[in-house]
Amino acid sequence: MSEVTTTTSYGVGIGWRPEIAGFVAGLPGLRFAEVVAESVHAHGDLPPGLPALLERGVTVVPHGVRLSLGGAEPVEAARLEHFAAVARRLNAPLVSEHIAFVRAGGVEAGHLLPLPRSHEAVDAVVANVKLVQSALDVPIALEPIAAVFDWPDDELDEAAFLTEILDRTGALLLLDVANVYANARNRGTDPLELLDRLPLDRVAYVHVAGGAEHDGIYHDTHTDAVPQPVLELITALCERHRPPALMLERDGDYPPAAALREELDAIAKAAGYPTVT
Amino acid sequence: MQLAATGDTWGIPGPTFLLIYFGAALVIAIAALVHRRILFAGDRSARVDQLGPQQIAFLNGGEQLALYAALGGLRAAGAIASASDKTLCQSGPMPGGVTPLDTAVYNAAGRRIRAREVRADQWVSAALLQLRDGLEQAGLAIPRAKLRAARLWVLAGLALIALGLARLIDGVQNEKPVGILVVAMMAAIVLTLTLNTRTKIRTRAATKGLSAVRRSHEHLSPRQSPAYATYGAAGAAMGVALFGAASLYTMDPAFAEEAEIQRISAGGSGIGDGGSSSSCGGSSSSCGGGGGGGGCGGGGGCGG
Repeated sequence: MSEVTTTTSYGVGIGWRPEIAGFVAGLPGLRFAEVVAESVHAHGDLPPGLPALLERGVTVVPHGVRLSLGGAEPVEAARLEHFAAVARRLNAPLVSEHIAFVRAGGVEAGHLLPLPRSHEAVDAVVANVKLVQSALDVPIALEPIAAVFDWPDDELDEAAFLTEILDRTGALLLLDVANVYANARNRGTDPLELLDRLPLDRVAYVHVAGGAEHDGIYHDTHTDAVPQPVLELITALCERHRPPALMLERDGDYPPAAALREELDAIAKAAGYPTVT
Repeated sequence: MQLAATGDTWGIPGPTFLLIYFGAALVIAIAALVHRRILFAGDRSARVDQLGPQQIAFLNGGEQLALYAALGGLRAAGAIASASDKTLCQSGPMPGGVTPLDTAVYNAAGRRIRAREVRADQWVSAALLQLRDGLEQAGLAIPRAKLRAARLWVLAGLALIALGLARLIDGVQNEKPVGILVVAMMAAIVLTLTLNTRTKIRTRAATKGLSAVRRSHEHLSPRQSPAYATYGAAGAAMGVALFGAASLYTMDPAFAEEAEIQRISAGGSGIGDGGSSSSCGGSSSSCGGGGGGGGCGGGGGCGG
């Protein structure tokens, strides 16, 4: 079952964004980055700054956000073709996408929506993941998304839902510890319980992001600092099974470079990886 | 008609004169070009990539852009702000490691000077002059004396025009066809205007180095919506230096508007390159979002 489990260890990485491309380029120890797949041309010029990273030997993983793996319809052929082409272009050892849907019945939601955790949803995701896998030369890692609410007719819990999808597709897991923290905090559950029930040996890499609380609900904003409990969760995760890479996901309201470096160092410290700054 | 053809004007047949005239124009053009290549070559060993943002800005867009780079850097550091009456003010302590131009602009802001008048401030213009002198000595900015020497070729162009004019008057009086001569004179006028360079700022060595610096700092282009907070004051100043005043609008639209960045640039006189770099197309002013830091953005906060 774990024939595609990754063995290379990359350490601490960062989500590459055009806004902070200069900052990312200036991280001397960086070996891992992720780029939004839809922002990369399959054949035209790469975004400025990315070629230099690739030349340095930094592994750049395309992260899809628009495939809509959880949709009832099969993944669109053109999107799939682009995704696979970008993976080849970046010479990426793996790719990632979300377990979510972004469109239904031709209507674009514009963002990632959670799936009801039903056997029917598992079937839909598995069918789409297998379709994507057939177009790819490299493994795919699947990322569950943060959900502020649960669907009322959920048949499976989060761990069972994920494990079944991973088992049936042989896919890897992209674990978002900030999501795990947010979900547990908003539902009043213990995040470690979920960690203990997930196949941690299948974690390809980990997303780390900041969030903020509004009106009693913790939002995984990606625009705030990484809170201490998330860093503690990283340590707890690495005590169980240290993933090959953990990366900071910052999507806006970018802080001064020194603050970003501090966050990267804090993640490195929590995970026991060398600093990249 | 037969009577009129008593002889060629000045005893030179028309085709022969035109050949000489075009030949002379060509010789002037080539000689001026060669002279310029020598005059404007600059020092090839000079390093553009080790210059500061204000020096880069000067090479890219003259005094005006150097001033904008200083304004951008001070603004990003939270040292200055603008008020709705278009004046500047100090909104924080002077950052460390600043240039003489920064100091001059910061002090001018302390006197609540209007943003568009900063360049005329005596300390600011002295600092700009100092900036230019340093770049001229480094072989990166074209020394004013060399620019004047290059413009001496205008005299040759004017002589050519005068010669054509004399021939034109005599030819018309002689009832000779002058159509091609008029065309030749137009060419001489265009050539003369071209030789009258006033706006060239940087040497060839600087141009080459500048494009390399622009490539290595592409992440500061407004097209990347750079996170100026992350890149800091030096990054903000470098963005303005390399990509023009549009960067100021991306970074802090309220400040750029109140500091009349666009208007100063459009009405800029003298040294301003007039090139694409210093023209601040409004295209970028639409984004911005939460750019800029504290200070007294939005107008009233300057405590006027």
